[in-house]
Amino acid sequence: MHHEVEKVGDEIIIIRLKGELDHHSTQEIRDEIVPMIKNGTIKVLVWNLKDLNFMDSSGIGLILGRMRELAPIDGQTIIVNPSETMRKIFQFAGLSPYICSDSEIDIMSKLGGIVYGQ
Amino acid sequence: MDNEITLSFIAKSENEALARMVMSSFIAAIDPTIEELSEFKTVISEAVTNAIVHGYEEDGTGKIEIHARREDREIVVSIVDYGRGIRDVNQAREPLFTTKPDEERSGMGFTIMESFSDDVEIYSIPNRGTTVTITKRFVPIQETSRIV
Repeated sequence: MHHEVEKVGDEIIIIRLKGELDHHSTQEIRDEIVPMIKNGTIKVLVWNLKDLNFMDSSGIGLILGRMRELAPIDGQTIIVNPSETMRKIFQFAGLSPYICSDSEIDIMSKLGGIVYGQ
Repeated sequence: MDNEITLSFIAKSENEALARMVMSSFIAAIDPTIEELSEFKTVISEAVTNAIVHGYEEDGTGKIEIHARREDREIVVSIVDYGRGIRDVNQAREPLFTTKPDEERSGMGFTIMESFSDDVEIYSIPNRGTTVTITKRFVPIQETSRIV
């Protein structure tokens, strides 16, 4: 698992997951992202799953956990590029509304308007 | 019976990937679709993770066995642990039910296993262990259309 975490400005984090996401590999990602959120300025988490080959319900736990942390500040969660199987898993967990069909670049330009335009 | 294997390993989280890999290889002979393979791997991952996290509380010493057999295009897999067992199997099957919300377990494991397979049976005795038996039937390979 060689994921990439990119902070864009003070408010956005893009997490590009790679390889396989299971109970074993979630811990490492959680340890990296949680301190960044706790920092207080983050308002948007973008999960890009383009290079993720596998995800089980541990991925749901990881994403839901971060959504809970963002809830007090009305933070936003965006999921892009899930596989067909991942799409079904998100649906079971009620996370379908957070899947976005735009590309990462389109999302960033839209967010630029939302986040910085306030 | 077309084929049969038994896999035994220590209940460590790094073995979740190993279990998925071995079981993917086991079903390669029936040439599953990408979707079927991906769903099957998810089912295995959920059952093995349950055994590690709940059966053995991640003690890193318990043993997990996977017995798999293939008959034509039907795969029957049993994931066996000798851990603490499930006190209320019906409750465990309920979507979003989890005994470990603090560890960010989503409570979706059995829901995913049931949705991505044809049958899930749970046999559990408290403090003796749990056996989860999953049956998945794979669709027949489509005959390629004849070029006229």
